[in-house]
Amino acid sequence: MDALKQFFMTAPVDPAVFAQSLWLIIALPLLGAFVCGVFGKMLGRANVYLVACAAVAGSFILSVLAFWAVSHVEGGSPVAMESAFSAGRIRYAIGYDYGTWFSAGDFRVNFGLMVDHLSGTLLLVITGVGFLIHLYSTSYMEHDEGYWRYFAYLNLFVAAMLTLVLGDNLVLLFVGWEGVGMASYLLIGFWYTDNAKAWAGRKAFVTNRVGDFAFLIASFLLVMMVAAFAGQANQANFSQGGNQGERYRAGLVEKGPLSFQALENLATALPVSTDKAPGVAVTLESTIEKGPLAGFTFGGVLTVALLLFLLGAAGKSAQIPLYIWLPDAMAGPTPVSALIHAATMVTAGVYLFSRMSYLLVLSPTAMVTIAVIGTATSLLAALIAFAQDDIKKVLAYSTVSQLGIMFMGVGMGVFWAAVLHLVTHAFFKACLFLGAGSVMHGNADETDIKKLGGLRTEMRWTWATFLVATLAITGIVPLSGFFSKDAIYHGIHHSHLAGYEWAAGAVYYVGLVIAASTAFYMSRLYLLTFEGKRSPEAKIAHAHESAWPMTMPLVVLAVLSVVALVYALPLMPGRNGMQPVMENFLGPVFSNAERIAARGGLVELDRSVPKLGDYIFAWLVAVSGGVVAAFLYLKFFPSKAGQPAPAWARGVRRFAQNKFYVDEVYEFLIIRPVKTVSIVLFKLLDTLIIDTVLVRGTAWVTARVGSALRYVQTGDAQAYAAVMALALLGGAVYALIQVLQ
Amino acid sequence: MVPISYYLILAAALFCLGMFGVLIRRNALVVFMCVELMLNAANLTFLAFAKQNGDFTGHVSAFFVIAVAAAEASIGLAIVIAVFRSRGSINIEDMRTMKY
Repeated sequence: MDALKQFFMTAPVDPAVFAQSLWLIIALPLLGAFVCGVFGKMLGRANVYLVACAAVAGSFILSVLAFWAVSHVEGGSPVAMESAFSAGRIRYAIGYDYGTWFSAGDFRVNFGLMVDHLSGTLLLVITGVGFLIHLYSTSYMEHDEGYWRYFAYLNLFVAAMLTLVLGDNLVLLFVGWEGVGMASYLLIGFWYTDNAKAWAGRKAFVTNRVGDFAFLIASFLLVMMVAAFAGQANQANFSQGGNQGERYRAGLVEKGPLSFQALENLATALPVSTDKAPGVAVTLESTIEKGPLAGFTFGGVLTVALLLFLLGAAGKSAQIPLYIWLPDAMAGPTPVSALIHAATMVTAGVYLFSRMSYLLVLSPTAMVTIAVIGTATSLLAALIAFAQDDIKKVLAYSTVSQLGIMFMGVGMGVFWAAVLHLVTHAFFKACLFLGAGSVMHGNADETDIKKLGGLRTEMRWTWATFLVATLAITGIVPLSGFFSKDAIYHGIHHSHLAGYEWAAGAVYYVGLVIAASTAFYMSRLYLLTFEGKRSPEAKIAHAHESAWPMTMPLVVLAVLSVVALVYALPLMPGRNGMQPVMENFLGPVFSNAERIAARGGLVELDRSVPKLGDYIFAWLVAVSGGVVAAFLYLKFFPSKAGQPAPAWARGVRRFAQNKFYVDEVYEFLIIRPVKTVSIVLFKLLDTLIIDTVLVRGTAWVTARVGSALRYVQTGDAQAYAAVMALALLGGAVYALIQVLQ
Repeated sequence: MVPISYYLILAAALFCLGMFGVLIRRNALVVFMCVELMLNAANLTFLAFAKQNGDFTGHVSAFFVIAVAAAEASIGLAIVIAVFRSRGSINIEDMRTMKY
């Protein structure tokens, strides 16, 4: 055991040396995207597959090395990184700064990359699941003519997502944030000749832009807040985190205000009030003295910035009010849905808040909003999923719902559990989506689960892996989904946000309903697709099992979604007894957030481990949903076949099937008014004033004046001479008058 | 000694004669001669002022004007001959084709 531990704690490459090569992790898929996109058609199908898969595989190997490097312990002291902002070193992290990207005045952004335990975990998920999905795609896209375009986009996505998690400042994160949005847009509209699919891509893009706008504004607010803080804080502030004011200001000059370290040190040096930290000049309650934000309190600005970040995250991670694009994003190829719209990109919001956990714990208002938004989204999506018949739509709403659960976790301060759920969700949801793709591939692209059925015997690998993943997402012991979801729920139930004591209970009990609903609709999906008899409406009589490049990733993901449960087991020694592996592992990342929360008292984070009774209760909730679904779809509905359903049932079903008319409400409340205003502005401002009056008006006046004045040109030289003589006369008269006066 | 104003009045009279000739005569050759008259009126003014100031700047200008007048007369007469060859007339009223 000790030898094994020693093996994992000794990196094969010196971390300080490896840190300089971090850029390669991003560069490999980027190069792959370039080669596939520019030379893809020339290279041919097999070479494109090779380049695309090899790029991601290489990136995966580098990620493993990076992950290894951040776990490196030498002589009892873990690997650590110099901080530009304080004398202390950042433990369990490596990073490298490649120099200034751009600067203007005091503002500066560096091209710096950093790996710690949080981004290391995400690196592995992105490149690992990404590689499996690349492999799967080689078989899934075997008949598609646009294969080179597809793999170029897919590699581009991986590169952008890696930028998002590797960047050590908000601006670089935003570059990745926009990059994944673009790749997502390109891939949703991959079959752009189909109008509906092209529109789905556009919808995703526009919806995301709303969020990105909020993200930018929030970043600007943080820049101004950091500047105000650096100007007003005194040494007592910085002593809070054992730091020096000069050191922090020097760091700002060197790395810029949007670097995560700048924000982390700011959070450490910003106490809640003066009673807790005597002598400090700046607290959350003190007002900003100078600049555009003068008059607002630090706490207020922070809360507003975090709420704007929430809107940004809601766009990317499909939460209310911007979740509507994700179900439509299923227009893209199924592996894309698995990679981008289930496993990685949509979890960017969870990553963002986990990354900024130290700011979050200073604002219970922002936290409770995140938790409530997550809960509402999760419940709404689960209810909509009840009545969807499209296999991918059910999975899409299920993704929205699971992301809501992660937001609940982040909002109530259970960061490590949210990240764990992110990882396990990446495994089982990717497995489900790839399974759905396999089902479609073997059934002539049929997506209506009412027209499938009985695939259990015909597609054995797909069936087995889909079953495992379904059990994982419904939360059945002993699969990873159960443990990660329960870790979130347990944390929610026992955490407290100052001023929002009702939140813990409310979010928890609604969460139970969500868990039962998840079990219900996932069981329904599974039963209708794989159990029972084959539907008479099926497109082809017998389904065929997919080739090995498609089933192999399924098996790997199914195994992972079982094995990942290890991370939720309390095996590691912590401060208060044993703690879950993942919590222990992510400890260095969230330790500052915990310290700030404990010091400020605004947020009380619970660190207890679920007891056996909690587990049994959670298990019963999940099973109850599954049993109801089994009863309804195996016994009740088949026995009632042929009889019309009662009117109320049909009404409810239609309401849910039409997604609670949210799209229609948005159409009526937002899109129509915006369109109307746009049309008025277009007609009035653009067509009338700019086009008609200004552009064509200028030309018209010039032409009219010209055609009037041309009659002056008579061709008579003596007439011209007469004009000159008159002018001379005028000049002479003027001169004479001047002289006489 | 003759006062300078006499010269200037004479020059102005010559200039006006020339100008009215240019404006009202129809014969292109006469118009040319009137142009020469105007140029020489200007010369006379230059010389009058030169004499008054006692330097030679005015003389230099007068020589320039004579040179320009020679060039102008040669080109002008060539044009008149060309017009006469193509139209058989040197009446200015027949030369109004370059118009709107």
